[in-house]
Amino acid sequence: MAKYQLVRPVQLSVDAVAAHSGLHPDLVRRFAAMSLVDSTTDATGRLWFTPNAVPALARVQRLRAGLSLNYAAIGLVLDLLDRIEVLEAQVRSHRRWT
Amino acid sequence: MATDFYDALGVHRTASTDEIQRAYRKLARQYHPDVNSDPGAEERFKEVSEAYQVLSNPDQRRRYDRFGADFRHVPDDVDERAYAGDRTRYTSTSQGVGGFEGIDIEDLFSGLFRGRGGGGPIPGADQQAELELTVEEAYRGGRRHLTLSGSGQRAYDVTIPPGVMDGQRIRLAGQGGAGSGNGASGDLYLVVRIKPHRRYRLSGRDIHIDLPVSPWEAALGATVSATTPGGEVKVRVTPGSSSGRRLRLRSEGMPNPQGKPGDLYAEVRVMVPKRLGKRERELFEELAAVSEFDPRRT
Repeated sequence: MAKYQLVRPVQLSVDAVAAHSGLHPDLVRRFAAMSLVDSTTDATGRLWFTPNAVPALARVQRLRAGLSLNYAAIGLVLDLLDRIEVLEAQVRSHRRWT
Repeated sequence: MATDFYDALGVHRTASTDEIQRAYRKLARQYHPDVNSDPGAEERFKEVSEAYQVLSNPDQRRRYDRFGADFRHVPDDVDERAYAGDRTRYTSTSQGVGGFEGIDIEDLFSGLFRGRGGGGPIPGADQQAELELTVEEAYRGGRRHLTLSGSGQRAYDVTIPPGVMDGQRIRLAGQGGAGSGNGASGDLYLVVRIKPHRRYRLSGRDIHIDLPVSPWEAALGATVSATTPGGEVKVRVTPGSSSGRRLRLRSEGMPNPQGKPGDLYAEVRVMVPKRLGKRERELFEELAAVSEFDPRRT
């Protein structure tokens, strides 16, 4: 039987995410409140992020700086980009039968 | 960035501010590194942004029209006729223009990406490029030299693991879009695309091939050789194999770095000679007279 080690999922606090992405912790909280980056709240009300939050925040900043989008539009763009990625992966797996 | 700003935006020199804005918005949406993961897109995006920065500002545009690519090195109060006669002084070494010596264009524009974002460095975007492989290359793996256009020509020696699948991504860490400020670079992903092959059909890790046999080999059984991506193999055709019968060669399919390799399926195809010799014809005629086999009534 395979054995699995019990591990705690890697989670980052607001301050850790802020330090990694070079943003102010308040801005990270604002992005979380606007659901531009996925987060979870624990029993004490603290926000936690996965390590994916750092590249996700970088993407938000690039879209904001490069296309002058407002945050509502960035949310929409992120959702659409994710959906396109899923669809493209599906197209790729369909093409495998060549 | 040697290209002309008007060319970068694809507008005429007499274009109105509205036209310039329209062209810029369209291109920016098209080439934004998060929307377009092509390795060349980021460079194009920067080019377009720089062009728009200059051409959208009436004062800067006028100066650009007048002095061309080195308009930033020309002081505000220069006399145009003096400039024309004395051009080399400004373009080559900037001697004697005091305060304009050593201005770094990169410095002037490093703020471009930062915009209203939030200040600090922004890590670069991930990029994606296709890596086309033949079935044999995917089977064997090995090294592959590839060059990408984009921010300068980039060349990589990529190690392809044996048994890569169509759609699999090979990650080159830190080789993606450049970050702004001192943000980290993104990653470059090479998406494997396996070219359709004349003989080998892939389904997952299994490889299907056709196995042409003569009518007597199919009827009597034989050991025939077949070409696979891994080399020649001997396949035993059992007596009485009709077209369509599949012979499985266990673990002769695509290797799997994580476990069980795929299988190879050889599908029997009975072939007959296009033209028969005299003796061959006699034998077939004899067989036809003797045999009671009717494939349409079994």
